[in-house]
Amino acid sequence: MNTQRDGNVWWKEFPLHAPTEEHRLLAHTVESFVRDEVEPQAQSYNRDERFNRELFRRAGELGLLGLTVPSEDGGAGLDATAAVIVHEALSWSDPGFCLAYLAHAVLFVHNFATNANEQQKRRVLPQVLSGQWIGGMCMTEPEAGTDVLGMRTTAELQGDHYVLNGRKMFITNGAIDDNTLGDVFLVYAKTGGKISTFLVEKGMPGFTLGQRLHDKLGMRSSMTAELVFDHCLVPAGNLIGEEGASLQHMMRNLEIERVALAAMSLGIAMRCLETMVQYANTRHAFGVPLREHGQIQRYIGDSYAEFRAARSYVYDVARRLDLRSLGNRADADGAKLFAARVGKNIADRAIQVLGGYGYMGEYVVERLWRDAKLIEIGGGTLEAHQKNITKDLCRAPEWIRR
Amino acid sequence: MKILVTVKRVPDPNATIRVKPDGTGIVTDNLKYVVNPFDEIAIEEALRIKEKGGGAEVVLVSIGAKVAQEQLRTGLAMGADRAILVVAEQDLDPLGVARILQKIVEQEKPDLVLMGKQAIDDDANQTGQMLAALLQWPQATFASKKESLESEAEKNGLPGIQMANGKAQVVREVDGGLETIEVPLPAVVTVDLRLNIPRYASLPGIMKARKKELKEIPVAELGIDVTPKLRVLRLEPPPKRKAGRKVSSVQELVHLLHTEAKVI
Ligand SMILES: Cc1cc2nc3c(=O)[nH]c(=O)nc-3n(C[C@H](O)[C@H](O)[C@H](O)COP(=O)(O)OP(=O)(O)OC[C@H]3O[C@@H](n4cnc5c(N)ncnc54)[C@H](O)[C@@H]3O)c2cc1C
Ligand SMILES: Cc1cc2nc3c(=O)[nH]c(=O)nc-3n(C[C@H](O)[C@H](O)[C@H](O)COP(=O)(O)OP(=O)(O)OC[C@H]3O[C@@H](n4cnc5c(N)ncnc54)[C@H](O)[C@@H]3O)c2cc1C
Repeated sequence: MNTQRDGNVWWKEFPLHAPTEEHRLLAHTVESFVRDEVEPQAQSYNRDERFNRELFRRAGELGLLGLTVPSEDGGAGLDATAAVIVHEALSWSDPGFCLAYLAHAVLFVHNFATNANEQQKRRVLPQVLSGQWIGGMCMTEPEAGTDVLGMRTTAELQGDHYVLNGRKMFITNGAIDDNTLGDVFLVYAKTGGKISTFLVEKGMPGFTLGQRLHDKLGMRSSMTAELVFDHCLVPAGNLIGEEGASLQHMMRNLEIERVALAAMSLGIAMRCLETMVQYANTRHAFGVPLREHGQIQRYIGDSYAEFRAARSYVYDVARRLDLRSLGNRADADGAKLFAARVGKNIADRAIQVLGGYGYMGEYVVERLWRDAKLIEIGGGTLEAHQKNITKDLCRAPEWIRR
Repeated sequence: MKILVTVKRVPDPNATIRVKPDGTGIVTDNLKYVVNPFDEIAIEEALRIKEKGGGAEVVLVSIGAKVAQEQLRTGLAMGADRAILVVAEQDLDPLGVARILQKIVEQEKPDLVLMGKQAIDDDANQTGQMLAALLQWPQATFASKKESLESEAEKNGLPGIQMANGKAQVVREVDGGLETIEVPLPAVVTVDLRLNIPRYASLPGIMKARKKELKEIPVAELGIDVTPKLRVLRLEPPPKRKAGRKVSSVQELVHLLHTEAKVI
């Protein structure tokens, strides 16, 4: 076997976190965007629980909203690794904004571009790729979260319209402020007992904002809402894919969603670790820098090892993830299960190392600690991941040795 | 109109630079490299002249190791049309670089060469001037602009260098103010920090960059002597800044500034 190329063992040089030139350039662009435009607004938008619509449009201008959309459809045609790069970088600064980005770019745009027909794509994609329209995805209901298949929203074909009845809960981008609905949604509903997907647009009769939810623990620069469908009239042409055939869309999109959410935990962990190290280097207690104290070394050492492990796992899963196929659930769930806890633990230790200052907003880590918790719930709870992984492994134990 | 823009690969200005213990250079392990920030401004200006100032072909040129391809791709992703990499693995001094650029200018025949006023690695601030001398072309150094970086003109992406009637009008930063000069083309212009805020490469730009031409020319093919006339004897890190000190009164501060810092 020839492992030598240009005198180097090339696979040892393989850059897992930016495998191609495009990934490297993308990382550079997003890091600059974060430094110059995301970071300066993060603290105030989170404090005030407001969504930054201007910043969102800027993300559209840079092409970030169509990251994984094929180039034929006007996107960048990039992959799961690119999605991880973007979510990690944005969450280093503003996980709340990143969650709104995820709900739009991954839950709506990516899902829609994968499953919609040409006519639907021509009408909607330009609006959502530019950020003119803000999109979201409606799966969770007031009485059905983890138990997705227990959803109660129904859709019934009457003439040339479907009539939707039900309520959806915790919908990111469901509102953009207290009174304004988001623009477009992929709504899962049951047709004859099976799951179908509908494109529901602001202004359709019977579609209203139930309530914008206030006082979230974290992720406060993203808006979360309850949406109401009361005899909501959706044109038959807004059915996405075949009637009753959406289980697959849903499961497939959950894989990239979970990997992207895991990447958000990486960004949080990275920022918290950097903050901790910098503080331990400069703050003195008992006549020495904090870094000299064994207990501080334990916080930093454990955090670093966990961060590196999570980062390798998430990027490795992203590298393998084929966005068109299904069947990576054990690892999409595994990556999020692991990274979510790493993010939360490292944020917690960062506060601890910073002492009283860590508890204060100015040092950012308290906000990241609040944001980090969401990854243990949204897009699947820890317990849901444990359940899925167990199910998949018991069905195919050979996966363990892969 | 053709604009040649120089692009140097330099360590990331945000990175912590460590000098090797023996003083022969800096530690390069794990160091991130970027486009020299002044060159980024030069690329941005060339793109603005192309987009808003009457059109141009923007050609990038870099000199150095093969890895400098990365920085050229960054410039192509920003919007430049094509790139040339003069592959030279050896150390070069500003005169060597200027000689190589002279050859490239002779081949490409640009109307304007835009360069950073200096590179942030060794801060020589010589190459542009030397190139102009070798070519016997007019030069305008430290290009800046009247409008601030918060102005409407800047938000609208207007170029600061005005090209008309075979001339380039350049606003220069000089001590205590700005000076406007005009140079006939072809000319060499070096740019300063306050000329513009460079764009980031957009996703469409990044995806297009892969298909753009990046030509490599081995330095030996140019048939010139680029042996450095300059030798770096030793590098030393700057002295560590001492920790700050709190004073209890204005009187004490004034006293210390006088007796210890000796600045007043
Ligand atoms: C900020 C935020 C944004 C969100 N954005 C969206 C969005 O854009 N779109 C969307 O559709 N949803 C969204 N959600 C909803 C999110 O996906 C759900 O909250 C999540 O799936 C959990 O569902 P639930 O809240 O109903 O909890 P439940 O499912 O009621 O779970 C309660 C507890 O029971 C446990 N549990 C449930 N079933 C089992 C089981 N079989 N075995 C063991 N334990 C179990 C859970 O793990 C959890 O600990 C968002 C949520 C939040 C908080
Ligand atoms: C909301 C709030 C209210 C407060 N109210 C009051 C108040 O009313 N009155 C008041 O006087 N103070 C108050 N405090 C201050 C509080 O008691 C201090 O924050 C706390 O004692 C920690 O000190 P510090 O923040 O300076 O952290 P530091 O002492 O700088 O500690 C930073 C980190 O280093 C660790 N560390 C320090 N020394 C060692 C060591 N020798 N070995 C191992 N690890 C070490 C710490 O455990 C911590 O993890 C308040 C703080 C908060 C956040």
